[in-house]
Amino acid sequence: MMRAMPELNLVEKVIALEAVPLFENLGPEQLTEIAGIAHELQLAPRKPLLEDSQPADALYIILDGSVELSRAGESLYTARQNEVLGAWALFEEDDPMRVSAHTLEDTRLLRVGRDDFYDLLADNSGITSAIFSTLVKRFRKLVES
Amino acid sequence: MKTRALLRRLFDIRQGEYVKTWSMFLYLLFVLFAYYIVKPVSRAMFLTRFDIDKLPGLYILIAVFGGILAYFYSKLAARTSLRSAVFAATAVSIVSLVLMWWLIGLHLPWMIYVLNIWVSLFSIVTVSQGWLVASNLFDTRAAKRLYPLLGMGMVIGAAFGGEFTNRTAQLVGTSNLLLASAVMVLLAYLSFRVAATHADRSLGHARGAEETSFSVPEMVRDIVKGRHLQVIIGMMVVMYLVDTLVEYQFQRMAQAGYHGDQLTAFFGQFYGIYLNGVEFVFQLFFTALVVNWFGVGGTLLIAPVAVSLCSVAIMAAPGVASAGAVRLTEASTRYTLNKTGMELLYMPLPLALRNRVKAFIDICVDRLSRGIGGVLLLLLTTTSLHMGVRGIAVVVVGLGACWALLAHMARREYVATIRNRLSSRRLDLASTRVSWNDAATIRLLETTARGTNPRQAAYALGLLADAHNYDVRPLLRVLATSPAGELREKIYTVAASLASDDVLEQALNEIRAVQAGGSGSAGPAMAAVVYALRIAPDRAALAAQLLNDPHPFLVRGALEGLRSDRQLAESLITRDWLDRMTHCRDTECRLMAMLAMGELRKPEYVPALIEALGDVEVRGQAAAALVAYGPSICGSLSGILLDQSAPRRLRLRMPRVLARIPDQHSAEALLAALKSPDLSLRAEALKGLNRLRETAPGLNFDDSFVTGQILEEARLYCELNAALSPFREYRDGQRRPSRLLARTIEERLTRTLERLFRLLGLRYPPKEIYGAYLAVSRRQADTAAALEFLDNILDRRLKRILLPLLDAPEHLLEHGKDLFGVEVPTAEEAIRELIRAQAGAEGNGLPSDPWLTACAMAAAAELRMRSLAPDIAEAAERAGGEVSEVARSAEAVLAA
Repeated sequence: MMRAMPELNLVEKVIALEAVPLFENLGPEQLTEIAGIAHELQLAPRKPLLEDSQPADALYIILDGSVELSRAGESLYTARQNEVLGAWALFEEDDPMRVSAHTLEDTRLLRVGRDDFYDLLADNSGITSAIFSTLVKRFRKLVES
Repeated sequence: MKTRALLRRLFDIRQGEYVKTWSMFLYLLFVLFAYYIVKPVSRAMFLTRFDIDKLPGLYILIAVFGGILAYFYSKLAARTSLRSAVFAATAVSIVSLVLMWWLIGLHLPWMIYVLNIWVSLFSIVTVSQGWLVASNLFDTRAAKRLYPLLGMGMVIGAAFGGEFTNRTAQLVGTSNLLLASAVMVLLAYLSFRVAATHADRSLGHARGAEETSFSVPEMVRDIVKGRHLQVIIGMMVVMYLVDTLVEYQFQRMAQAGYHGDQLTAFFGQFYGIYLNGVEFVFQLFFTALVVNWFGVGGTLLIAPVAVSLCSVAIMAAPGVASAGAVRLTEASTRYTLNKTGMELLYMPLPLALRNRVKAFIDICVDRLSRGIGGVLLLLLTTTSLHMGVRGIAVVVVGLGACWALLAHMARREYVATIRNRLSSRRLDLASTRVSWNDAATIRLLETTARGTNPRQAAYALGLLADAHNYDVRPLLRVLATSPAGELREKIYTVAASLASDDVLEQALNEIRAVQAGGSGSAGPAMAAVVYALRIAPDRAALAAQLLNDPHPFLVRGALEGLRSDRQLAESLITRDWLDRMTHCRDTECRLMAMLAMGELRKPEYVPALIEALGDVEVRGQAAAALVAYGPSICGSLSGILLDQSAPRRLRLRMPRVLARIPDQHSAEALLAALKSPDLSLRAEALKGLNRLRETAPGLNFDDSFVTGQILEEARLYCELNAALSPFREYRDGQRRPSRLLARTIEERLTRTLERLFRLLGLRYPPKEIYGAYLAVSRRQADTAAALEFLDNILDRRLKRILLPLLDAPEHLLEHGKDLFGVEVPTAEEAIRELIRAQAGAEGNGLPSDPWLTACAMAAAAELRMRSLAPDIAEAAERAGGEVSEVARSAEAVLAA
């Protein structure tokens, strides 16, 4: 049975979103916009989060608990508090996930859905350009390395 | 505290500037000390050995050697580096002094000429070199603050040098003082080395040109090309001419009033006590204030105006007192205000150019101008003119007027150079178009239009359609069967503009092909519809049919085609049609409805269009439709913009629409929105106003209201900065509410700065203000130039408030207190103020900012500030959903 935890308020959501590398160029005000579309999710142990071969439709931030990533039954990595899953899924509409993910224990997550995210981008050019800037920086770093 | 503020007003040395400033101060002090040892020595030797009539010859020799020396020194500086040039100049000076000391002992008469020429060149090279080094060490803003202090070094050096010579000449012998001078030169060099080690950029690499080529023609080319340099040279020439004439007047009146030892004592008293005293007082108390208050242009105007006024006194009552007053005014302002102003005048020039030409101009123009001054004096006094002191005073007044005019031009050039530097970072792409007016070009265009590249063919066709006396219709008929959609689209557009029915059948076939489910593409089909609805005999029926076509681009074409016939449009676009299209789930249909409303512009459509601004998918078209209403819609849009009960996301959209309607009503509505407590709305309104200013610069943006808003934003900037002060330490800490609060206040500071510059863009040239904003907000290399630009264009009231905020962030807290009485709060006080802003507390200068309040509440909980619980509770009652949730969480934590 999962413990009842108080829901995150706006400030706590923004603090959680600060951990997402994709949002590193966003200011606090812009993060509040994303916090507005971020929903809290509580999962019991061994619940699936991402399905292998299925496209992901959201980004998840682990608030408490842990999530195991695996491929073909083989465990690859255990993600814990403040780690982010599916960040790039926001930009891959049809591509299936290369890994699956399930909770290892009672886990609390923050979920940002792709459709809501795109609506938000359409309304906020500042957020779009900040995210573009992050992507370009990463791409450049990748090319340079 | 007051003493510190006064000292900062006089000499504002900032963190990281102390060593290089005091080193350069000492450099100039030692150099002038050395000069004032050798100057009396050389003059005394000359006057003892030769008659006074040999003096003009000496001046001419000095001018000739000055030119040669300027050439070689500038060449050395450009080919090597500033550091090497200073080393070489020091080494040559010391060796020369020792050598001359030895040669003078041999009693060779020509050595006295050599010594006198050398002394006059020594001072100009070392002093000019010192200022050149300073211009490499400091940027324009720092120079404005620190040059008066460096000038003070010169004044003190001159005073001490003269006094030293006076007291020791008889003790150690005149010629032995040359060795003391050599010691001072060595000390000056050591000071330079200390300054160089603290330079931001290496002086080892500072040079005039990347290449080693250096020539007089190149220098002349720089001067011919640069109006700024021409004005500097012009001012220097007039200044030295005035100096020569004024010195002559003074010496002549002194000679008439005193004789023998009396004359020597008078000169000693005048130069040693009066002139040095006045210069000292000027440099210590006034130069910095005058430069700050009047700017570079105003500072440069003081000397010519003052000298001219005093010369009027000579005209009225010639005598030792009036001539002395003119000399005192001329010399004291030249060495203090004018010297500082002239050095600052070089600052906006590119560093490479400055390093290349400054030494040359300083040395060459100084010496040559004094030579010319000598010739002018001979002309005025020995030819048939036979002018006396009065006549020369008239000439001085005339030269003073030229000098003042040049000073005025210098101010304009100074600002223009800074402005160019700021705006040259932008690329202005001018559109160009091919000229086609001869037979050969027409043939080439015809060949291109028939060619295989559709884009080129369409472009050529467009040019041919515009060609004078050329009938393009036969070509249209030939090309209408082209498989290239891009070309066909162009053909229908051209045919529509000519109202020619030559290709109507092809156009109708194009439409039918799409309706039959063929592979027609949107571009040519839309162009075909627009063309057919203009020409076709049964266009009403065709339009009615196309408006209900399932292909959106045919509907769009029909709406565009109906644009030219409003009567037909009103009869076909019915309320039913609009309702059906507006409520259609397909975005294209909704877009068509917006387009149609924009075409018909009926008042009853306005609410639907405004509502559509909230729909991400059609808001662009809805905005375009509202813009099509023109100024008549401004009242409705303004009503929503200023209505606090209207949905916020709709209100935020209004400025963008208003900005596209270049009308005074738009400007007034947007200006009214600047009073909104909602900072995002203010920012949007300002963006709209900036856009309006660009598209319709003739509109009135109410300068006095904008000034008031600027001051309000400046006050908010100070208050936010004070609120940030207790939280700066949390900024780079762990992800916690206190860190988030610090980041949020910082973000608000950035936004406030942006709004402030946007407001400035409504009163001053927007392009340059934008350049200044980029430089200031990103603290780029051009920050100093940007601040200097603002210093020169802002009116005094704004300058007094804004420049301290932008120029000295490290003193912002003090400025906030001085200017607006903003005290630095403790963490608890700051949080309380931020929370009370939400509760609308009176006397609280912070605007209501729900997110900032939420962060403040969360930080209060994190820092366990239990005394704030009542404030949080009160704010929670007034706040909306999400802020009150944060408040409840905070209350729970504080209650635990």
